[in-house]
Amino acid sequence: MRLEIGEILIKDVQFGEATAVKNGTLYVNQAELAVIAGQDDRIKSVEVFLARPGESVRILPVKDVIEPRVKVEGSGNIFPGFIADVETVGSGRTHVLKGAAVVTTGKIVGFQEGIIDMSGPGADYTPFSKTQNVVVKVEPVDGINQHDHEYVVRMAGFRAAVYLGEAGREAKPDNVTTYETKPILEQAAQYPGLPKVAYVYMLQTQGLLHNTFYYGVNVAEIVPTFMYPTEIMDSAIVSGNCVSACDKNPTYIHANNPVIMDLYAEHGKTINFMGCIITNENVTLADKERSSNMTAKLTGFLGVDAVIISEEGFGNPDADLVMNCNKIEAQGIKTVLITDEYAGQDGGSQSLADSTPLGNAVVTAGNANEVVELPAMDTVIGYPEVAHVIAGGWEGSLRADGSIEAEIQVIIGATNELGYGYLTAKAV
Amino acid sequence: MVKEIERHGITVVHMCTVVPISLTVGANRILPTVAIPYPLGDPSLAPAEEKELRRKLVKKALDALCTDVEGQTVF
Repeated sequence: MRLEIGEILIKDVQFGEATAVKNGTLYVNQAELAVIAGQDDRIKSVEVFLARPGESVRILPVKDVIEPRVKVEGSGNIFPGFIADVETVGSGRTHVLKGAAVVTTGKIVGFQEGIIDMSGPGADYTPFSKTQNVVVKVEPVDGINQHDHEYVVRMAGFRAAVYLGEAGREAKPDNVTTYETKPILEQAAQYPGLPKVAYVYMLQTQGLLHNTFYYGVNVAEIVPTFMYPTEIMDSAIVSGNCVSACDKNPTYIHANNPVIMDLYAEHGKTINFMGCIITNENVTLADKERSSNMTAKLTGFLGVDAVIISEEGFGNPDADLVMNCNKIEAQGIKTVLITDEYAGQDGGSQSLADSTPLGNAVVTAGNANEVVELPAMDTVIGYPEVAHVIAGGWEGSLRADGSIEAEIQVIIGATNELGYGYLTAKAV
Repeated sequence: MVKEIERHGITVVHMCTVVPISLTVGANRILPTVAIPYPLGDPSLAPAEEKELRRKLVKKALDALCTDVEGQTVF
């Protein structure tokens, strides 16, 4: 499968009469976008705001972040199974409005949505302080249940992203990169001297507003399967999550998964990147055993020498991570694990719920319990009082002066376990 | 919590869904339960059946409390 990604670099976003890209600026017809995003009987109102890097703006509670993309050649379209038909994607050509993002907010759905600060210390913790954000504030009709509410906001964000992505259809990309993964036997033969590496992509599927979807199917309901890495670039995987903000993967990050991007960067140089195995993080022991058995079986079936495994979320998914590690290592295949930590505010507690001596190569995305102080912003899009209830906050997190004290868990992407963040270790 | 209570000489049965975590943490008496969001229930059952399921699990836990073990044991 071969996909060209054409990036149209977006350096500014403005409201305008027609939605279009001109000289690196994304112009947005505010009213038209609100109408399209709001096409659901269960939506009471939609408001559209802009939030640019460096502005004194806070957005909370953030439900999802989505990158505007458009398919210009090849089968299928963006968001297969949701906006587009369930056609296989990941080949042909896709244009990306690189630097722009749709951010969904509104009345809180669960209790694990997050914060994006466009300036100040909080901006250093989230990748979405650097994007030109089109914020879509969705208010549902009264009495909607939480699962419908989650679906309605998720879809409103996708419709907004597709609408904006269309502005890139005729635009000339600033750069074009080609990504290709061949069928298994051809791929193995292409670089016979290099170690064969696969990626085990764990997806959050604990239910109760913790769901991830692949071509429209809830990943909780699948057994692990092979995936061409380029499928993510057409948003075959999307977030339906209200899991803790710091380490959920927004739809934007799935489409830009840095593990896949880095594996492609080394493809043909130091490794032979064979492809992805997607798996879930379910809530019964039998499911966890079955999925880790299947995942390990598929890595053996692929005949790889090593795998990278990334986790999404924390707590009981740590058990899935450990099972995957143990069962893959038992086949003589090396593993590197990517996770984050919940080691307490002082960093002194056990970081993960489970452990294994075979997990001897682990990358951490940071301690989500670290406390941070976020100064007041001139503008808040959304509802600042949810700082008291979102995961990582506590009663009193929002102070009278508008500042917030909370764990970095509240910040979108702060400890992202695909590495799409800014935390680094400091040598002492 | 299991270990801290046992440290004071009080026997504990850890009823939990993800048995491997309980084994890693070091619980001595482990009783597997239904699912993480509903360890002692099952929303797919009728209320009467669910009550029966609960009773069975609690009875099994009480039996485990009264059982001598030589090391970590999954009931």
